[in-house]
Amino acid sequence: MNDKDSAAEGLSCMIVDDEDLARRVIREHLARYPEVAILAECANGFEAVKAANELGPDLLFLDIQMPKLNGFEVLELIGADAAVIFVTAYDEYALRAFEVHAVDYLLKPFNAERFDQALAHARLHARSGLPGGAPALIAENRKRQRPLQRILIRDGARVHVLPVDKIDYIQAQDDYVCFKSGGKEYLKQEAMAELEALLDAGRFIRIHRSYILNVERLSRLQLLAKDSYVAILADGTQLPVSRTGYARLKPLL
Amino acid sequence: MHPILAQRKYLGLYLAAWLPVAGLISVLLVFSGRLSWPEAVALAIPAVVLNAFLCLAAWYLCRAFPLGKTGILHLFFIHAAAALLTSSLWVFISRGVAAALSSAPPFAGLSERWGDQVPLLYGVGILLFWLVVAVHYLLNSFEGARRAERRALETQILAREAELKLLRAQIDPHFLFNCLNSISALTAADPGRARRMCLLLADFLRMSLSLGNREFITLEEEITLAGQFLAIEQVRLGPRLMIDRRIQETALPCLVPPLILQPLVENSVRHGIAQLIDGGSLRIEAERRGGRLWVAIENPFDPDAAPADGKGIGLKNVRRRLSSQFGADTRMDIEKSNNIFHIEISLPAHTKDGKRQDAPGNHQEENP
Repeated sequence: MNDKDSAAEGLSCMIVDDEDLARRVIREHLARYPEVAILAECANGFEAVKAANELGPDLLFLDIQMPKLNGFEVLELIGADAAVIFVTAYDEYALRAFEVHAVDYLLKPFNAERFDQALAHARLHARSGLPGGAPALIAENRKRQRPLQRILIRDGARVHVLPVDKIDYIQAQDDYVCFKSGGKEYLKQEAMAELEALLDAGRFIRIHRSYILNVERLSRLQLLAKDSYVAILADGTQLPVSRTGYARLKPLL
Repeated sequence: MHPILAQRKYLGLYLAAWLPVAGLISVLLVFSGRLSWPEAVALAIPAVVLNAFLCLAAWYLCRAFPLGKTGILHLFFIHAAAALLTSSLWVFISRGVAAALSSAPPFAGLSERWGDQVPLLYGVGILLFWLVVAVHYLLNSFEGARRAERRALETQILAREAELKLLRAQIDPHFLFNCLNSISALTAADPGRARRMCLLLADFLRMSLSLGNREFITLEEEITLAGQFLAIEQVRLGPRLMIDRRIQETALPCLVPPLILQPLVENSVRHGIAQLIDGGSLRIEAERRGGRLWVAIENPFDPDAAPADGKGIGLKNVRRRLSSQFGADTRMDIEKSNNIFHIEISLPAHTKDGKRQDAPGNHQEENP
């Protein structure tokens, strides 16, 4: 984020929308604000995440419905550093969410006054560094998609989309969780409990304080000692199973 | 009022059904008693006709105590009591008839000899009443089944009408607002294209409203409508949306229910091509294959895309409308493989002159 002096003079932004014409409208409106620099225009979520990481804009104009990643997911992946103005045509859910979390938004098509209002409002956010309601909005969007169908992982400027049925198991590592999928590993900053709540409970079982298992990968359970089991996966991996983990796993076997 | 009393032809039939009973009773009276044939017949016919009316009371009983809702024991006592009562009345009536007859010279002394027949008449009276009760229960259950069937049919028709109304009103607001936004974007930069887009939208809306009011439209009209929709989406999505039409000339006059193809095309754009960064090509095929019309739509899709809200409702509606229109004479197959979404429908090929095309033997010819 810019320091206070430079922010008072200029503002940098990115326009993210999969429709060329929709980007053009925003560009036209921004032409009246010479102090606002357009760092990049992106036609999909992947590009947006990459560009936002490299360019660090103060403000994002973000469409909701886009290929690969929707607007909420883009925001989730780039973190809530930038101020954001959502731009959408019609989405009952999104409108309600914007109102609840007091996030700036523009409804397509919009007029110049409405654009000026949203920009002025977003500028305040950008200057004060307030994250606004965005984090709550992101969390709500994830909850709405429960059970989670795919995991979004940012790896530097790259984005991985991991469908949940490709996950073998998930391991806790301090503040991170590590997704193991077919010999590959993906790290993401997330709490185990939060993740567990979002995943399909009939399929992903917390077998241990540090492990969530995709039960479809389980080959068998081996008794080590009294009340102590080891889960053996189809690929031979062995995972510890706690006593509560065994109680959760048992009804599914 | 009893349905038999309400209609004269039913009453005639009902009374005619009692004639053999009168014959049977006459035979019994002759062989078990000391009655002559003329005496037996003269007594039996009026007594039986009066009893026929008496037995109609069973209808009220059967309605008041339907089978299955009344306990067996309860039913037994009700009908036993009713049978004893009606049979007593019937014996009483036949005594009246006998007394009346004895005043006439040929039947002198009938009322004295009649007395021996009381147990027989009483027993027959009970059995006859029970027979009528059984027939009433049978007719009631037939009537009930028919009513239920008619009601089910009526609700189905109503639901279908409501659904159609809903479909007509259903123009995706997201599509509409995106479209208006495209027009708003074009007004400054390219007014000519903005106007063309307005006209395209107007044509599409007008056509989808007017076609929806008809029961059947030609495939040509349906394809034109889908084409108008696609032309608008092409302005919005630019080069990401390509269209590949492979439509056989002879398929065009075939009749289809309105708005059958358009939702499929919309589905393919919204959940398929619009979700791809580089877009893709939407293929529409239509062919006449013997007596059948075959239509297929194919598009690439992103298997990793987030599951969309309400996905599949449009397809389900199309399937339901096809099967409610043609019953088992239609198919709709969906196939997803290698990131390609393929949907095909097959239905009987009718044209406007009302004739079903080609030989009926061809109806067995299904999609490969």
